[in-house]
Amino acid sequence: MTADTWQVVAAVAVFVGAYVAIATEVVHRVKAALVGAALMLAIGASDGDAAFFSQDAGIDWNVIFLLLGMMIIVGVLKQTGLFEYVAVWAAKRAGGRPYRVLVLLCTITAVVSAALDNVTTVLLLAPVTLLVCDRIGARPEGFLIALAMASNIGGTATLIGDPPNIIIASRSGLSFNDFLLNLAPLVVVLMGVFLVLIRWLFRSSFSYDAERAATVMTLDERRAIRDPRLLRRSLVILALTLVGFSLHTVLHVAPSVVALLGAGVLVLVSGLSSDEFLEEVEWETLVFFAGLFIMVGALVNIGLIEFLGEQATEAVDGRYLLAVTGLLFGSAVVSGIVDNIPYVATMSPLVDNLVESGAGPQSTALWWALAIGADLGGNATAIGASANVVVTGIAARNSHPISFWRFTRYGLVVTAVTITLSWPYLWLRYFVLA
Amino acid sequence: MRAADLAEPFPVVHLDDDALPATQTLAREGLPGLVVVDDDGHPLVVLPASQVLRFALPEYVEEDPRLARMYPEDEADGFFSVLENKTVRELMPSKQFLPKHDRNRPVVGAGDTLIEVASQMSLQHSPVVAVVDEDQTVVGVITVHRLLGAALGSS
Repeated sequence: MTADTWQVVAAVAVFVGAYVAIATEVVHRVKAALVGAALMLAIGASDGDAAFFSQDAGIDWNVIFLLLGMMIIVGVLKQTGLFEYVAVWAAKRAGGRPYRVLVLLCTITAVVSAALDNVTTVLLLAPVTLLVCDRIGARPEGFLIALAMASNIGGTATLIGDPPNIIIASRSGLSFNDFLLNLAPLVVVLMGVFLVLIRWLFRSSFSYDAERAATVMTLDERRAIRDPRLLRRSLVILALTLVGFSLHTVLHVAPSVVALLGAGVLVLVSGLSSDEFLEEVEWETLVFFAGLFIMVGALVNIGLIEFLGEQATEAVDGRYLLAVTGLLFGSAVVSGIVDNIPYVATMSPLVDNLVESGAGPQSTALWWALAIGADLGGNATAIGASANVVVTGIAARNSHPISFWRFTRYGLVVTAVTITLSWPYLWLRYFVLA
Repeated sequence: MRAADLAEPFPVVHLDDDALPATQTLAREGLPGLVVVDDDGHPLVVLPASQVLRFALPEYVEEDPRLARMYPEDEADGFFSVLENKTVRELMPSKQFLPKHDRNRPVVGAGDTLIEVASQMSLQHSPVVAVVDEDQTVVGVITVHRLLGAALGSS
């Protein structure tokens, strides 16, 4: 559409206003996104057709329904007690030795986060971590911080692991396997480094008391699983869903469709009530996404994103390593300060323009730089990622408050190390060895 | 009939009281709940008996009830032992305290009628409401049995 100058100015003002409101939390983020979306429609920067039916300039229903499908799958999986079983089993395997327990819990968290949503993963694993810490006599604050960070690192590995990746996948057309092949190897290395790093970062939490450690052995993890049949069925359907994601290039079925099919079948075979399987659906998050997409879509609709993309392309002028470096470190800094979801939603159309102007692995590396920077940057502060906010909330409710600065002190170290290690990976893989 | 006419004397618990004796009183006298008051006698929270169990339950078990299933039987039997040497204040998250002028609390005024008491009880899902005078000091409580008895007797 051709926009008047006043519309462009008004759209930018609405967008900046909503973004500031979301970042500073002066109003609830859902309210800010919805009011922003309504204002974009009111000033004519978007219309019904663009907002609701254009994938580029409106609500990305693939993202919304992929999230919805995965939330329903998690809602059923949660009922099985699997996560509690695995966490206690791991603590027993570690003999109640605090560092070993933390290593196993972080590894489990990272793996689960790669397959499921980060927030749900920490919501399920934080309470059982508190139980284990209580038994072995370890202070849980460090354990909980490490759990949130492991979740953010693990979630980076796959298309479905972190909401920014879902947005990037939908905008870029990159498949589940693309994410797995390009990001998972890096995440494996980063997790290895992270597990060594936490030995030093949280060293004060690792005092071992043999008598207390023995109490963890008395827990009966098998009793966490009340319905083994539901567990078996859920695991089979989750596995089929993951296989469905990975067969995208063969089946040509969008991830959102695969997730909805998985959710539908699981709902059918689980026999759970709608209250139970919808328990984990974060309606607020879905509405937030919808409002955000309309706002960003309006900027696309009035041609502003295209204009900025052209400017960025001119500025980059084929120097993709410079662009990748800037995007990686810049995204990490921004994502540490504000929610990485609106950031990636805004940056994706811009990066899309940049990638389209180039060709080959060097320009595609921009997507990976954005994903890595945004996902890992979330570890920097207590508000950088939703998982951090959830964990600090659980800690506070359990009388183990974690202050913003305490989290951030550790977060900055982990973010600096992981982002710095990611740069040579991107450089080697997409520029030197490509 | 007014709330003050129905109010019964009821043991109130101060924040710095020992939690175990307070809970034992509840069990021994078959009370429907506890009223926790501050130093001025103003109600901070009215806890139905079922909610008093939260004193002894770790918060993480409340967040994930499946964890309760993993405790060995001997520990499960003695889960109230965690209350030993703990005060009510130590066991109650401050978020449970009620703002003095919060309408969403199981507290009624001494001059409230039966239907107001019933409405508040029903709204708050609480089998016990505290009755306060104009100074917000607890003058007694009304249990659901007492209310039903009075209401059915009147009709």
